[in-house]
Amino acid sequence: MAPKSSSSGKEKLIDADEEVLQAVILADSFNKRFRPLTTRKPRCLLPICNAPLLDWTFESLALAGVQEIFVVCRSHAEQVKAAIKESKWSKPGSGIKIVPILTAKETFSPGDAMRDIYTRGLVTSDFVLVMGDLVSNIRIDEVVKVHKERRKTNKDAIMTMVVKESGAQHRTKARGDSSVFVLDAETSECLYYESVTGFPKTTIAHVPREVLASHPEIEIRNDLIDCSIDICSVEVPSLFQDNFDYLDIRRDFVHGVLTSDLLMKSIHCYVAKDGYAARVKDTKSYESVSKDILSRWTFPLVPDDNHPGGHIYDHERGNKYIAKDHSVILARTCKIGNNTLIGSSTQINENAQIIASVIGENCVIGTGSIIRNSYIFDGTVIGADCVIERSIIGANVTIKDSTQVQRGCLIGDGVVVGPFAKLKPFERLSKKRDATDGQPSDADEEVDSDLEDVEAGQDSIQETLGKDSNALVWPTGPPDVDAEEDEINNYKNERFMRLGDDASDLDFSDDGSVSSSSESESDEDDSDLELDRSSLTAPSDTSLPLNIASAGSPMAEHEFRMEVAQSLERAFAEGHSVDNAAVELKTLRMASNVPLTRVREAVVAAIVEKIQIIPGGPVPQRKEIASVIGRWGGLINRIGGVDPVETITALQTHCASSTHLPLFGQILAALYQDDIVEEDDIRKWHAQPASKGEGLKESENIKKCWIIGAHMIKQFDEQESDDDEEEETTEPTKPVLAESQNAAVPASSSEDEDEDEEDEDEDEDEDEESASKDAVVPAKAASDNDGPGDDGDDDNDDDDDDDDDEESEDSEEEAGPSPKQSETPSLKKSELPSARSATTALPPSTTGPSAVAGPVPAGFAPTSTSVSAPTISEPAAKQTAAVGAAKDSDTDEEEDEDGDSEEDDEEEDDSEDMKSGSGSEDDRQRIVAADGLSGKSSER
Amino acid sequence: MAPEQRSVESLASKLRRRQIVGSRATALETLLVLRQVVSKARFSNMDQLVEIIRSVGRRLVEAQPKEHSVGNTVRKVLHHIREEYQTATRGSAAVSVPQSFSIAKFVLLGQPRQHTLAPKAESKGTLKENDPDDPDSFARGLKPVLMEAIQDVLDELETVYDNVSKNAKDHIHSDEIILTLGMSKTVEAFLKSAAHHRKYTVIVAETAPLYGGREMAQSLSSAGISTFLVPDSSIFALMSRVNKVILGAHAIFANGGMFATTGSLIAATAARAHSTPIVVCAGQFKITPLWNLYHEYGALDFGDPSSVLGFEEGDLVDKVEVVNPYYDYLRPELIDAFITNDGDHPPSSIYRLLKETYDDEDNEL
Repeated sequence: MAPKSSSSGKEKLIDADEEVLQAVILADSFNKRFRPLTTRKPRCLLPICNAPLLDWTFESLALAGVQEIFVVCRSHAEQVKAAIKESKWSKPGSGIKIVPILTAKETFSPGDAMRDIYTRGLVTSDFVLVMGDLVSNIRIDEVVKVHKERRKTNKDAIMTMVVKESGAQHRTKARGDSSVFVLDAETSECLYYESVTGFPKTTIAHVPREVLASHPEIEIRNDLIDCSIDICSVEVPSLFQDNFDYLDIRRDFVHGVLTSDLLMKSIHCYVAKDGYAARVKDTKSYESVSKDILSRWTFPLVPDDNHPGGHIYDHERGNKYIAKDHSVILARTCKIGNNTLIGSSTQINENAQIIASVIGENCVIGTGSIIRNSYIFDGTVIGADCVIERSIIGANVTIKDSTQVQRGCLIGDGVVVGPFAKLKPFERLSKKRDATDGQPSDADEEVDSDLEDVEAGQDSIQETLGKDSNALVWPTGPPDVDAEEDEINNYKNERFMRLGDDASDLDFSDDGSVSSSSESESDEDDSDLELDRSSLTAPSDTSLPLNIASAGSPMAEHEFRMEVAQSLERAFAEGHSVDNAAVELKTLRMASNVPLTRVREAVVAAIVEKIQIIPGGPVPQRKEIASVIGRWGGLINRIGGVDPVETITALQTHCASSTHLPLFGQILAALYQDDIVEEDDIRKWHAQPASKGEGLKESENIKKCWIIGAHMIKQFDEQESDDDEEEETTEPTKPVLAESQNAAVPASSSEDEDEDEEDEDEDEDEDEESASKDAVVPAKAASDNDGPGDDGDDDNDDDDDDDDDEESEDSEEEAGPSPKQSETPSLKKSELPSARSATTALPPSTTGPSAVAGPVPAGFAPTSTSVSAPTISEPAAKQTAAVGAAKDSDTDEEEDEDGDSEEDDEEEDDSEDMKSGSGSEDDRQRIVAADGLSGKSSER
Repeated sequence: MAPEQRSVESLASKLRRRQIVGSRATALETLLVLRQVVSKARFSNMDQLVEIIRSVGRRLVEAQPKEHSVGNTVRKVLHHIREEYQTATRGSAAVSVPQSFSIAKFVLLGQPRQHTLAPKAESKGTLKENDPDDPDSFARGLKPVLMEAIQDVLDELETVYDNVSKNAKDHIHSDEIILTLGMSKTVEAFLKSAAHHRKYTVIVAETAPLYGGREMAQSLSSAGISTFLVPDSSIFALMSRVNKVILGAHAIFANGGMFATTGSLIAATAARAHSTPIVVCAGQFKITPLWNLYHEYGALDFGDPSSVLGFEEGDLVDKVEVVNPYYDYLRPELIDAFITNDGDHPPSSIYRLLKETYDDEDNEL
């Protein structure tokens, strides 16, 4: 089949003239939202307003002047094929050539279907890609024109997505599955895409800062209905082929293309001002699209004008549509409400009420029955005195007398229910399989296995369905095991897409909490390695943590890790150059579509593992570390992006869970020495709430690492203050940062409430004290420090610090000059973006610093940062550094005496630090810096 | 499928999808398709030919029952073809109509036209129906005349604006104030033609929600006519100053009523309240042998609500029922005169025009 169809397809295309507009319909839903209606029938053949969905899609495309359509079908493909063959479209003169393509059963996602399209070579020019459940009257041909025009000047504009403006709230806009588009206001280029789920509730979209940097004006929009109409160029299927892990067109492909730094392709949006387009994605949108059709939004695609099923309806006041062939029997006393469609040969008996519903052909509605907001397919018989609300009833169903069907029920084809049955809301019924059904065909296998599952759960529920019922009740609760369901399809999110379900309870319960809390919840299911990495890495990557978590299943994640480890092992073993190893990693990353963070983690982990633990004492160990880092450390910054803070975080996370924990300090020092991380980075990392490891499984180990970091920072501070004091010495001393002997050094953040009351004298005392501690550092450390070329960088560092000092000075002046008030430069800096704090704030930990115990590796000695840089702000810098140091040791002392009160203080500090630290990376937040600054200052 | 059948199908789907709209455009397209059908048709007697044309007509009218000019064009063609056939088979001598005036003639005119078809055997001339030796001979003989007849209809359609507006100066006098609304090509041509001879003022209502009035005002003022564009809401307030209301039509019915663009009913009722004369400019192809369409709610052709209520008003869309009809039905009492390319007529004599233009047996295609 496959080779034949592709060749014949090609011949046709060659014959056809240039201007033939092709379309590809993916006529499979790739999900099960319409079960059990779709057990025996593909979704695209479900009727909406009495015509199969696929016909609406064809008509929508025909309206747009499409001349050749490929229908890619998977489940029940033979039915789709037969339906196409019988429809008016295959008659000569329809002006449209429709070619059904039967893909393999293994096609599980739109991505797979696209790869299939590629392998068959179906499309030869720009084409329209739609789903098989589209109802639209948008002039797609005009979009195609725009697209082609753009392609003339910009070959990289590979795709145009058609989106429709709607309000923030709209019945046709799915709450469970909408998206945020970031568009360039002028060119309507889509700069960033993020999907939004109803549960877990997405409250934040994270726009990469490059987007803001490179475009003067952008629009961030959440009011667009994504109609899934894409104008694609031929490259699109081949991109799917190249990236074999793309599944969803939006979440994987669009997101992937836009965030990729290799592809250099662009995607545009077409915001349709007029016209209508919507997809029947789920039962909820089934209802809303039905309503839209009946209230004529889809004009001229309306029942009385251009009904895709070819039926003719009379349009009457109040948007009632009654089949025109005079075959409908309406009893004298029946009531037909507004927005109702009644198919031909249907009989409505006395006193029946039909309100805002669609009734198929050849139906009978019994005396006194009430049908409200329901959709009843062909040939269904409803007995007397039934009540049916907001439900979808399949074809040839028999509902016997006095049955109540409450909102949200789905009743499959051929079911018999009642009499006197009462269905609970959201009940799903399907017909029991006949024992005499004969051998199930290949296509039914999947369905039958589903049915078997359902059958297993049947027990006493039967009795509520009435004595003659042949129905199976499908389970309603959340499924027990949900291994393969992705984030969009989780049970709670699906509820947003369910007919009649307002999901108000979900909304309510989730409103107050911030996204990160639900995030960490979901992350806990992942493997240990993944452990809350999303929140750890949050500040370093401006994209939403959610994305990182969603980017791959734990399985793929693990595979990727293995791959990286193997690749690096090879590199280590064969002595590749760092460049070559970097290229290999990049390729690997593209292939498995993982975020940069993951790669960094994997690389750091691999390098750390490469370091052998040498028992012979600190000196040979340090040598080993220095050699490994010296050889491979450069790789960390070559994988496609430089983010030292993240590197430290990765190092910390890895060390915390491996035998290399004791080496953390030394490795960090080595990285520092090799300029892979800078002092500022360590400070930033240190300020992050996640670095402290709160609420994590490995919190103790993480905490240990954090304390080591605290020491390092302390040493930096000391170093600085030393420098300041010995400013004018010609020979800059090489202050040695040392691990203190005291294992349990509580390290609070570098700020304390008490600090204002501190005296400068005390500071000096402290300095002396720490200097004495320094003495324990092996003398060799000093000689290690003289790395060539360090000075230049350090200069920069100092400059940075000076700038910050100036800033802090300014702010102090603003807040009213106070001689005692001083803050460390790093803190000042981190405070700026506090506006963003809420996004990643974690609950403050209750674990006190005293909980930390155990030996901390001794001895790391980073290079000197002390190049004398006398500036006007020098005194201020001096003061701040000194105070910072003082406060650190101050807490040391007090710790043992009054642990409780100190802990409270700690907590406050922690939470503050978290707030400020979490956003410290975010450059764009400097826009709001002024606000944040003044707010903070006045607080103090 | 033969190409002519394909073109019928293609026109049908275009009509269904509203890719061709407007009375004149649809009439022209219909005519072109009919010409193609007739030129390719194989028939050996008149009935076959009529049936071919009628089936095409049925197909097109079914596709879009709201474009009345499609059916009208088919009827017109049938009428012309029958006439040509009569003259061809019987010669011109037989068509001499008694010129005597009698009251009985009025009675006759009200009745269906009598087809005094001569018996087949008596048919003379070269045309011979159902010739067993050469079944195509009849078609071959008749086709040139048929094409001519269709060409006549086509010519009439193409010159319809000129013919409607040739007497414009008799209807519009100097310094008059005329009110019109919507964008009607016929009215536009009529007013522009009058402007050659008279100096007058036009008030154009915007005609929401399509706002055809804006386009109209633009066009008129660029032709040098002093034009005011006013919102629909001020029609009544201005009506006391207006000398005449000139409207376009979508379809004119046998009872003298008509469908015209939304807002016409407001203007007409306001004009009636001020006893301002209402004149309708329309081509003859809009005259439709139907009369009770106003009983049918759907006949007003309801469009999509988006021009009234934006789709982005998500909150309202769910709660409000929006009705957006394209046409208003104007009762015959509201209209004073129809100006057509076939002269000026009061609403009460439209039925007469219908009798002359179409054959009664074609009223139902």
